[in-house]
Amino acid sequence: MYFRKKDCVAMILAGGQGSRLMVLTENTAKPAVPFGGKYRLIDFPLSNCVNSGIDTVGILTQYQPLQLNEYIGNGTPWGLNSSNGGIHVLSPYSKSASSEWYKGTANAIFQNISFIDRYHPDNVLILSGDHIYKMDYSKMMAQHVKNRADCTIAVLEVPMEEASRFGIMNADENGKIIEFQEKPKEPKSNKASMGIYIFRWEVLKEYLIADNDDPESSNDFGKNIIPKLLADQYRLYTYDFEGYWKDVGTIASLWQSNMDILGEKPLLDMREKKNRIYSRNYAHPSSYIAPEAEIVDSYVAEGSTVYGKVYHSIISTGCVIEKDAVIRNSLVMPNAVVETHSEIRYAIIGEDAVVHANARIGDNPEFYDKNKWDIAVVGKDKVVEQNKILLPKEIY
Amino acid sequence: MKAMGIIFSNIYDSSLGELTNQRTVASLPFGSRYRQVDFVLSNFSNSGIYNVGIITKYNYRSLMDHLGNCAAWDMNRKNEGVVVLPPFASGNTGVYKGKLEALYSAVHFIDNPDYDCVVICDSTVLCNMNFRPAIRHHLGSGCDVTIVANREGDQLRKKHPLILKANQKKRVTEIMLDTYVRPGSYVGMGMFIINRSLLVEALQDSNSRGLVHLERDYLQKRFNDKSLKLSVYEYDGVVLRNEDIRSYYANNMALLNADVRKGLFKQESPIYTKVRDEAPTYYGKGSDINDCMMADGCVLYGNVEKSVLFRGVRVEKGARVKACIVMQGTKIGKGASLECVILDKNVTVTDGAVLKGTPEHPVIIQKGEVV
Repeated sequence: MYFRKKDCVAMILAGGQGSRLMVLTENTAKPAVPFGGKYRLIDFPLSNCVNSGIDTVGILTQYQPLQLNEYIGNGTPWGLNSSNGGIHVLSPYSKSASSEWYKGTANAIFQNISFIDRYHPDNVLILSGDHIYKMDYSKMMAQHVKNRADCTIAVLEVPMEEASRFGIMNADENGKIIEFQEKPKEPKSNKASMGIYIFRWEVLKEYLIADNDDPESSNDFGKNIIPKLLADQYRLYTYDFEGYWKDVGTIASLWQSNMDILGEKPLLDMREKKNRIYSRNYAHPSSYIAPEAEIVDSYVAEGSTVYGKVYHSIISTGCVIEKDAVIRNSLVMPNAVVETHSEIRYAIIGEDAVVHANARIGDNPEFYDKNKWDIAVVGKDKVVEQNKILLPKEIY
Repeated sequence: MKAMGIIFSNIYDSSLGELTNQRTVASLPFGSRYRQVDFVLSNFSNSGIYNVGIITKYNYRSLMDHLGNCAAWDMNRKNEGVVVLPPFASGNTGVYKGKLEALYSAVHFIDNPDYDCVVICDSTVLCNMNFRPAIRHHLGSGCDVTIVANREGDQLRKKHPLILKANQKKRVTEIMLDTYVRPGSYVGMGMFIINRSLLVEALQDSNSRGLVHLERDYLQKRFNDKSLKLSVYEYDGVVLRNEDIRSYYANNMALLNADVRKGLFKQESPIYTKVRDEAPTYYGKGSDINDCMMADGCVLYGNVEKSVLFRGVRVEKGARVKACIVMQGTKIGKGASLECVILDKNVTVTDGAVLKGTPEHPVIIQKGEVV
């Protein structure tokens, strides 16, 4: 069987359980976590691929893949239902010699070498399934080719005081990487790796095989593959990205990123016509906004019914916000119900959750000690009984 | 018992005036995010009827564009699916005037031995109905044709194309055309169930006699000749008939009623439409939205009341929109004031413009205009 050659194959690392997102990811893989009213995290890298002209995508997943599989389907919502390339969900499988889970990011790609080889790509784009950003990978690719690089790593300038939380790239004036520091105590630069890599497939394949044979390795791109390539004098370059980017690995960052799409001129513009983010659609009717409703600086998605008050919040598809319920600075995920006289502040309400009448969930940060306050969370499918009070930082 | 479907996309365009100047009634936008044809297509899909022909006459570009590959209705199938049937203008046919003629031009599509019966539907009568019980009723009735109808008790003074009287066994006893609803009578919903072989025979016969209208020349005439047994299948759910501009306007406004929404949009049988990948609707500071149907992709800074907004509408600060239907991509400028206006797609309302109609005679602004 011969597959038409592709210039680039994208591989999305979506294997994480997202344990820090806890109740929101129970029975669901992290990339399927809802975002922004009608999206899921995986929509961002997938839509970016499509908008950058990449039509062959592998999604590497191993934790609770059912919902993700269902969501991806045959890739139609992203226009990836192609008979040549298209979208493939790649779970770990038993081989004749061995069978194992994906041990690390590099190991996940290693186990799918044969998938990539089918398309004879010049380059492979490695992406993460839980980053919120819009990016044209074709620009990065053009620079990669122009530099005759073996590997190009997208970097973002972060404030110097935060640099020690990231993988930091130290590059010369041409963008050639001299040094890589993983979460350094004393960072030499503020160029943080975004976890977006383009590798020359020939080189990467060789190093993946070598990495797999190394029992000492933790099979990770940042910890093993990149330092090895640097040590062996390969051409590694940075690609400077300017724009919005957020790793939504924690409750607080997921909440913040959702808030970042609000406003007249938001940090992340979901409304602009170019670089649109696509998502699977569930045939909801339009939303109904009742006479008594009040909605300010908020998104309300189709299929929702709003009778209550919503301020600086996101109401996702299929939600019901009853009369006299108040939602402030919160994200209400798809198909959740908030009953009358309940108050939700600085919280995330999970998919299909029900908040019965008169409940109080979360509170404003100004009333609390800094380390005692965080976003309150009601998990997926959870039912909050009447009059229940859920303090900030509490997870239900 | 296997059924196929036929949809008429534009037999009676003229009654909807400017709204159907450049489109079929089937592709006329309705209900904040749909086209009229979405309802009947979704009904077919939800009833497991996947072989569907859509009969078109003219102006069908917008319909073709909307349908695409029909994946949205789960109709892009290997062996079945939607077939658009443009006028079969060979020989002496020309463009047809009535449904009987139109059906005859699709006789090759209909005469398919894989199917036992044909469900024929207009695209202007909107409901969320499963055809399975209706087909079971048709089989059990022993009649030649089953007419799907409902009772419109409170609208006695309204004229309808097809009025029926029936006995207790739902056998039709009288059939009247273009007249007023009588107490106890049924109003036809433009849906007929008929055995395929009988239909093919009837089409060939009526073509040879030069007959044109399905209701007048076939159903009524043959019924009066006592050579056709008719049965009524009574549908008791929500039915919206968009027969003219006044009813089209009123039916859009009816969606603001929770019972109408509940009867039309059901979780177990969704109404599907083309996906457009718009962001959710953004309610800006200073916006005041009351009693509205709101599709995705709108950006709202003004005041909107008792209105139906389609996807991607923009309402600027200080604008007042009351009792309007605002179709896709229309922009309403600062301080504009609109009441009882139907704004077609991609209209631009300039800052401060004032337009006012009445519910009986809404102002209509045509596609792409600047006012």
